[in-house]
Amino acid sequence: MSGPNDMAAPAIEARGLTKSYVDPQRGRVEALRGLDLTCRAGEIFGLLGPNGAGKTTTLRILATILAPTSGTARVAGVDVSADPLEARRRIGFLSGTTGLYPRLTARETLRYFGTLHGLGGDALEARIDELMDAFSMKEYADGRCEALSTGQKQKVSIARAVLHDPPVLILDEPTTGLDIIASGAMIEFIEAARGRGTCVLFSTHVLSEAERLCDRIGLIDHGRLLATGTLDELAAATGHEWLDDIFRTLTERVRATGDVRA
Amino acid sequence: MTRSSPRAPTRVSTWRATWIVTRKELVATFRDKQTTLYTIIVPIALYPFLFWAILQGALFVQGRAEHTEVRLGVAATSDAHVPAGLPRALRHDASARASTASRPAPVGGSSSAESPTTNTTGGDAPARPSDDVTSTVTSEDDRLAVLHVTTRTEPLDDAGARAWLGESKDRVVPAHGGEGPPDAVLLLHGPREVGDAPDPGADLLYDSTASRSQIAKRRVAARLPAFADSLRAESAAAMGYEPSSLQPFLMEEGKDVAAEERGGGFFLSLILPMLLVIMTVIGAFYPAVDFTAGERERNTSETTALLPVPRRAVHQGKILAVCACAVLATSLNLLALGLSAEHLLHMLGEGRELKVVLPIGALLSIAPLALLFSFFVSAVLTGVAALARTFKEGQALLGPVQLVFIFPAMAGAIPGLELTPGLCFVPVVNVVLAFRSLLKGQSMPLEYTLTALSLLLFAVAAVWIALRVLSRESLVSSGKSMGLADLVSLLRSKGASR
Repeated sequence: MSGPNDMAAPAIEARGLTKSYVDPQRGRVEALRGLDLTCRAGEIFGLLGPNGAGKTTTLRILATILAPTSGTARVAGVDVSADPLEARRRIGFLSGTTGLYPRLTARETLRYFGTLHGLGGDALEARIDELMDAFSMKEYADGRCEALSTGQKQKVSIARAVLHDPPVLILDEPTTGLDIIASGAMIEFIEAARGRGTCVLFSTHVLSEAERLCDRIGLIDHGRLLATGTLDELAAATGHEWLDDIFRTLTERVRATGDVRA
Repeated sequence: MTRSSPRAPTRVSTWRATWIVTRKELVATFRDKQTTLYTIIVPIALYPFLFWAILQGALFVQGRAEHTEVRLGVAATSDAHVPAGLPRALRHDASARASTASRPAPVGGSSSAESPTTNTTGGDAPARPSDDVTSTVTSEDDRLAVLHVTTRTEPLDDAGARAWLGESKDRVVPAHGGEGPPDAVLLLHGPREVGDAPDPGADLLYDSTASRSQIAKRRVAARLPAFADSLRAESAAAMGYEPSSLQPFLMEEGKDVAAEERGGGFFLSLILPMLLVIMTVIGAFYPAVDFTAGERERNTSETTALLPVPRRAVHQGKILAVCACAVLATSLNLLALGLSAEHLLHMLGEGRELKVVLPIGALLSIAPLALLFSFFVSAVLTGVAALARTFKEGQALLGPVQLVFIFPAMAGAIPGLELTPGLCFVPVVNVVLAFRSLLKGQSMPLEYTLTALSLLLFAVAAVWIALRVLSRESLVSSGKSMGLADLVSLLRSKGASR
């Protein structure tokens, strides 16, 4: 596990994020209750928690898909509420449900996003070719996305997310639904991104992935961040070696004391 | 894939982004078979298909009619008689006469039929009771347009003739061949004066609710004038008069004196406004659902939410693409109509020719109104479809909305309804009445301007509402459709485009 650059300015910084909405069945739902988060450039930060803990809501707020009810969030120095457009230009977002336009080809998809990112002409085509080579996509570059396999779609999605070379990558359960080979390719991609100095914030259910990849881990439950730190720090704080034990201990401690900070 | 790749140096402007989104949506939507069908194929193929269907139907009906043997009863009142040669003239048609001119007289002998008081039985037909005369003529080559003529030797008044005709109604299954009661009755009567108009001398009684009776009527109407002319000529020659100085046997039917072009223009002004509205709605329907509910169903709404351009540009692009589809469908439909309307009218018309010329000047005047109307329709349909969660739900939602546009469009066919300043502010009705007036060549600058302004207002309002609906968060984050209460709450809330 490579260590983060502690001196670097935060690539992602969230302070007191809350998000609430009214659900017809459940009434008022508080998805986030004052979440604080800091991720640095060149760092892989894993967000772990059970279903409904607030992981996806957090990532969607950071990606400007949702607006926070209160609190602030900055991505690569840009306030996501004040300038969501600029924030989107600095983010590469990928999730299991971020679908590709089925009737466009892989090349058209990249060209569409590239054009809207302000790229054009030879520079855009060169960038697309570069990504096609990097992800070995050339043989299906002109096939419609609806006809691609899951692994091929995943490569196109990754290429779309990094096309504009964003300093921050936000990945929401990126390996969900992928087979072993595709998952392995995704893990390699995440590691390579860190190698380029990109901040990677990702959520996952797979604890082994987090243990292998993350420089730091944030444990989230009921819309609150229970603890953050390296795996070693979290183990030392709880006296457990494995993440699932660590998570269980932290959850019980919060319930007992009401203290959300480990 | 390295960080050395330059990041985009400039932001794309909102309008350029709108155009890029529009282009992408159009490319994607025309790769969808359903949208292509309703936006391109249906508008183009509608009229040829309609023609084909009408032609097939007409050929079928005509074929059935030609092969239908019908019966005519001929009788005279006490002060008249059945002219010699009338039964034979009626049972022949022009083509049969031409084809049999050089041949021996048809079975059933003409000479015996000359006398109204002589019983004559036509060829294939069985002998009739003694007081009736039945004659039947068929073409020797086939049995087309057969008219069996039965002559009553005793005088009949109008009531008697009606009673004779009424016998056919009592039969559940129509009789075949020359046997049976007549399908129509030609009652000849003596000269009478009714008001200032001379009576024609013959009444043709038929039942308009019975197809056989109508066929009999048509055959008599087609054959009687020729006999009347020849009879007049013979009588005039016998008396030493000019034929034109004698009153014709039957009154001629009235003729429409309207110019062919005016007739066609009137037809266009009735049908075209409604067609324009319908085609605009049909053209916008599938793209509107596809770009909104379809996007949610395909899980691409999150992808769209990540586009590095203002959300407003994305939604504007979608509405613009829907509008482009609506305009395309309407234009193609108009073109197809222009190419084929005359043929359609010719098929529909019975002998009356209408000349249909698309009035280019009127269409150019209509174009701005049509464009504004297309924006209005596109924004409404897109906004409503965005409330749905799935494509199917979107289709179900837009079904009634379609009717909201199509029913008022029928105002275009209401006779006498004219565009007034008040009606200029009634959506849909204003546009169809404006279309109609312009197609009729009426100049109405005040109403035109008011209609354009109101359409602009409606279009802007519809686009504003659609943008509010499209920009709601739950479009991306929730798998739920939007209820009316949510919609009202959304419209009342302070919105911000992200």
